[in-house]
Amino acid sequence: MTMRLVRTELVDSREILPGQWLQSFHAPALASGTRAGQFVHVRTGDLSGLVLRRPFSINTADPVSGTITIHFRTIGRGTEWFTSLRAGDAVDMLGPLGRPFEVDSRSRHLLLVAGGLGMAGVRYLADEAIRDGRQVTLLFGAASARDVYPSSLLPDEVEYVIATDDGSVGHRGFVTELVPEYEAWADQAFACGPAPMLAALARLAAGRRDRLGVARLGRRRGAGRTVALGSPAARRKAFLQVSMEQNMGCAVGACLGCVIMGVGGAPQRVCREGPVFAAEEVAWDSGW
Amino acid sequence: MKAKRRVTTAKDVRVAARRTPTVRKVKPLLGLAPSPSASPAPTRARSVVARPIAAHDQPAPSVAVDLSVDLGRGLVLTNPILVASGTFGYGIEYGDVVEVDRLGAICCKGTTLKPRIGNVPPRVTETPGGMLNSIGLQNPGVDAVVDKYAKTWTGWRTSVIVNVAGESVGDYVEVVRRLDGVPGVAGIELNISCPNVGKGGLQFAIDADAAGSVTAAVRRATDLPLLVKLSPNVADVRPIARAIADAGADVLTAVNTLSGIAVAPSRQKPLLGNIYGGLSGPAIKPVALRIVYEVAQIVDIPVVAIGGVTELADVLDYLAVGAVAVQVGTAIFADPTLPVRLVDELAEECRGRGLTSHRDLIGTALPRKPGAPSAKGVEYRP
Repeated sequence: MTMRLVRTELVDSREILPGQWLQSFHAPALASGTRAGQFVHVRTGDLSGLVLRRPFSINTADPVSGTITIHFRTIGRGTEWFTSLRAGDAVDMLGPLGRPFEVDSRSRHLLLVAGGLGMAGVRYLADEAIRDGRQVTLLFGAASARDVYPSSLLPDEVEYVIATDDGSVGHRGFVTELVPEYEAWADQAFACGPAPMLAALARLAAGRRDRLGVARLGRRRGAGRTVALGSPAARRKAFLQVSMEQNMGCAVGACLGCVIMGVGGAPQRVCREGPVFAAEEVAWDSGW
Repeated sequence: MKAKRRVTTAKDVRVAARRTPTVRKVKPLLGLAPSPSASPAPTRARSVVARPIAAHDQPAPSVAVDLSVDLGRGLVLTNPILVASGTFGYGIEYGDVVEVDRLGAICCKGTTLKPRIGNVPPRVTETPGGMLNSIGLQNPGVDAVVDKYAKTWTGWRTSVIVNVAGESVGDYVEVVRRLDGVPGVAGIELNISCPNVGKGGLQFAIDADAAGSVTAAVRRATDLPLLVKLSPNVADVRPIARAIADAGADVLTAVNTLSGIAVAPSRQKPLLGNIYGGLSGPAIKPVALRIVYEVAQIVDIPVVAIGGVTELADVLDYLAVGAVAVQVGTAIFADPTLPVRLVDELAEECRGRGLTSHRDLIGTALPRKPGAPSAKGVEYRP
């Protein structure tokens, strides 16, 4: 679906965790035709002197009710403005934007890994995967129990495993430490969270590739063909796809503000080539 | 000829009386355009009658407004609303969201001789009433730009002006040579004032001699319409503007971004990867207005204004201080349809004032130029 400017209406707004909000908007044009991993660029109020839109992952989309949700933390005047919205308020969104997660049709077991607000980046993929009959394990990392995403907001079918930095609930330590247990089970992994977390996952994924190879995907006819790095086909073959974050200007690829460094030495636009990348597309050690 | 020779109603006379019509016919450029506050929303027909001179020439009640802008060397824009370099990519990125053919012109992303990967991120951040960017001229190089986009541009009614940057005079000249004669390239905008690159860039814009020589060198290399973009990061822009005009530029663009920095939330380092960025958006409008005001009074070539345009009032302000057209930049990010809407709103504004062209709105806030000494003046000198 091509992007468009959509006038949406706030349906529901609630603070689900301290400083974290879940808002639902009536936006039929976005609710159908959006894929997991894509995002919307949302305009803030004009009165506040804010000149940039705010990008939000599409947290969930429901074509039946014509609603989408976004999940965010209040970190400044823009996000605080959103919390002041009331049901019925109109909000201008540009979307859907960016490229989605690419799930291989043969993948049965999906491992989702989210760090903090990264939940918003992978949340919709859980819905899509379960709809398609896949098994989903969601590993979630947070600072402490008070920041843990409520399991009631996840589909029942999801196996939900938690790690907290202080051990107040679940595994004590980083969420990445849970990953090795699941790497053999998982056909593909999808992650969103702080850059160091994603970089650690990329290292794990590279190690897995070295140990297990790509036997699962490599024995079909045509498997020897090379596909262009970054193409949907190449991403479908990747074990790990990550949803990246970067300060963003236009969100359509015009301003080149939101780049990360790609392995070929060419900057990649998070808004256009991303926000989802196969882990092997990203130059994790470039210092960018 | 007295102003009120036409048959008018009492209401028309009242409106006309509020409008100080006498100066208008002498010098439209310097004349006082009726201010909107003086005539609250007159209807179309009434305002035509109310302006005796226009009414005399054009009795038709529905005024066709001519928004075209002649920038010289055959570059005539259909309207004075351009989109600024760096905010609109190569014109294709916004897809169906923006009707590109309704724009006055597109200034494309800064283009250099060789590909550039640009600066380390973060590259953008919001600031009060504006934003800082330090893209660092990321672009695929002039040859790739021509290969990839020029064909698309030829199919557009909108003029595409290629923004050109470089590190040396030779760079600028070579890029322009490669653009000269390429179908789809309607003009060149020299970016001699990019604050976000280490070498070159800004140094040409802060020195009148350097600005003049790069302009002259490019002028010799092409007959394309040549716009030169001024930097606000100088103590006095006027000698630089004059040098650029004298060196053969067709148009001055004012202004590029203001140099600035932001601090990371950790307070342990500057926020932008490049440390320095360029400030744009409504925050810089008073600075840009001042520079347009200063430059428009001392050069004879057209000035295109840029800096914080977010609504029609901003366009009217820039026209009033002598700009013939404006570029919209940062505001596109929040409101991609703004430039096209401004075209409609400007036309409507002209119609509302009974003007057949926005040209009557240009320069109204500039000081009156002293007229040529007349024989009559001499006679009456004591």
